[in-house]
Amino acid sequence: MMSDSKPPTMAIDGRDNSDNVINSASGTDSAAVMTAAAAATSGLSRSQKLQNPQESQESRESQKSQKPQKPPWYKRMFGADRKVKPGMLHRIWALPSIVLGLMFTLGPVCVIVAFSFMSRPDVGGGVKYQFSLDGYKKLLFREDFFGNSYFDGRYLQVFWTSLWMALVTTAVCVALAFPIALWISMRSAKAQRILVMLVTIPFWTNLIVRTYAWMLILNDNGPINQFTQRLGMGAHELLYTPVASLIGLIYTFLPFAVLPMYSALAGFDFRLVEAAYDLGATRGVVMRRIILRAARPGIASGIALCLIPAFGAYVQPVLLGGGRVLMVGNLISSQFSEARNWPFGSAISTVILVITLLAALIASAVGNRSARKAGIAS
Amino acid sequence: MTHDNRTQGNRTRSNRMQGNEPMAASAAELAEAAAATSTAAVGSPAESAQSQPSSVNAEYADLVVRAAAGGNGGIVVPDWLESKQPDKPLTTRRAGRAKNDLKRFPFIGFISILVLAFLYIPMAIVVGYSFNGGRQALLWQGFSVRWYGEVFHDPAIIAATRTSLVVALAATVLSTLLALGYVLAIDHMSRLGSRLASGLINASMMIPEIVLGVATMAFIRMIGMAPGYLPLILAHTTFCIPFVEMPIRARLQTLDRSCFEAAQDLGASQFTTVRRITMPLLTPGIISGALMGFVVSMDDYMISNFLTTAGTTTLPIYIFSLIRKGVNPSINVIATLLLLLAVVVTVVSSVLTGRKGSKR
Repeated sequence: MMSDSKPPTMAIDGRDNSDNVINSASGTDSAAVMTAAAAATSGLSRSQKLQNPQESQESRESQKSQKPQKPPWYKRMFGADRKVKPGMLHRIWALPSIVLGLMFTLGPVCVIVAFSFMSRPDVGGGVKYQFSLDGYKKLLFREDFFGNSYFDGRYLQVFWTSLWMALVTTAVCVALAFPIALWISMRSAKAQRILVMLVTIPFWTNLIVRTYAWMLILNDNGPINQFTQRLGMGAHELLYTPVASLIGLIYTFLPFAVLPMYSALAGFDFRLVEAAYDLGATRGVVMRRIILRAARPGIASGIALCLIPAFGAYVQPVLLGGGRVLMVGNLISSQFSEARNWPFGSAISTVILVITLLAALIASAVGNRSARKAGIAS
Repeated sequence: MTHDNRTQGNRTRSNRMQGNEPMAASAAELAEAAAATSTAAVGSPAESAQSQPSSVNAEYADLVVRAAAGGNGGIVVPDWLESKQPDKPLTTRRAGRAKNDLKRFPFIGFISILVLAFLYIPMAIVVGYSFNGGRQALLWQGFSVRWYGEVFHDPAIIAATRTSLVVALAATVLSTLLALGYVLAIDHMSRLGSRLASGLINASMMIPEIVLGVATMAFIRMIGMAPGYLPLILAHTTFCIPFVEMPIRARLQTLDRSCFEAAQDLGASQFTTVRRITMPLLTPGIISGALMGFVVSMDDYMISNFLTTAGTTTLPIYIFSLIRKGVNPSINVIATLLLLLAVVVTVVSSVLTGRKGSKR
């Protein structure tokens, strides 16, 4: 790093020197300035060669003494004291993205958290700017006509259903994704590219299209039912069941599990497996102590990428579950549309945000730790 | 006998595992010296076998010299080592390695094929039924493209597609520009600043979509923005940026920074360097990022659903409302076309990023 940046700094020193000469001569008339400047520039190459070490040291010292105090923390945080690297842009160019992120990511999050502590207007949607904990109370308690409150487990049940569905989805996805990730990572480079592409195409396909595909398959007149009818087993109601929405969730999130696991295994040195076999390890030991160890960061991020969005899923339970399975996503959506209870919907959203944040923190901590153990992280 | 063998194997392995971590730490320091030898040793078998006598010899001598020269840390090279060289290439790689591994994990190939079938059969069924001639979505009445014609003449579908395209194109252009500026500028922020910024920008990927949707609706209502194109485009741009930024950043990491330094040494200004050197080198990453941003924006249902009015129904919202009414042949056609979009985008961006790998 240091050796790379040396030539440019020397050039800057030289230029600084000539500037100094011009500045010192600024009191006299312009001709003198010109000659002095000319002398400074023409003599630069010679003098630089002769007394370069001393000069550059002096000017470096003078630069140091010019700004003895550190810039304030907010400037340091945004890197105000750094030079723009060649080929890069000034840090001001990062600002639009950050402002947009502040406006349309952090802003909405703050608003939804604020709304969850407000009260419901007498009619219609929206909120009344008055502090209240009704939104959170409604999660756990129900008030009867006389104002007595009872414990109410209905909404907890919804949370539990969502968590259960998300957990099953994640478990199945990870279990299916691990073999295929391992298999892909053992192919030749060209085959790996094609197989990764095959896994990526569903990832980029419209979520509604993917869900609709399963509606076709599970439909009463769909291929499965036609098949069973032809075999004489009769038609079954497959669509609009919890299992159907579970299948939809698994189908949606499978690529989310495969891709991080593959990227964890892609750089894996399979000679380690050979070495382990040569040293007498059994298949199970190789799997547990070598391959799983390398895949662990990928498994951690795969779990996070499946669990968090599956927990808040909306499309699959509506289209495939047919409203028989109420998940948190559907509950929130109904609070903002039909039920028009914004503070309650905001409170549920806030709870989900907190859960998501915790899950993401745990996943990144686990991922980092296991990556460090596997020697992948820097 | 076998039992003995196994325990011994276990012990050896656990020793190696324990010794692994200090080795990894010191490996970083010795990386330079090791890189020279490992390229000679771990190269492909044929190559290393051919060039082995001369190159390994030279490398070995070089390593010994370097170790002796820089060995003020107490490394003393014994005399006997100077004349030694490995008598075999330092590799255990054998031909037919993949087959060997497959024999040892027999089920994974089978499971993988099943998983790929699971991923593709539903899509194949949608594509197949899109060519169904009948009025019933699921009753096969012969091959026909009549529903394609119907879809291309359905005014509601065309309007929804146009809205989606306007929003997606605007969001793609905006998010590509913003992501490019962000990627090129983020280096100049401090560690904390850049971590906060990337956390903020990637947050939209981690927050459940339904929450982000209702939150954005509450937010635009709070700041008094009317639902319609503007909030749609801004919200789409926000959640596209992380997807656009990823391939650009990945591409930037593969570039040789000395190109930029060379440009500046030859007198190019900051902007000229960015325009003439950085941008052309980043082009594959920019294109693949822009394509991904376009697809992500075209696909979004959850967030758009809370931001649209009657006049700005996007395609996914329209399909969703059609599906809720029941299966319908024209949905098969739209689904097939959207699937085609995903295939094209994935293949193009894979080709673009693949070319980078082969060039390097």
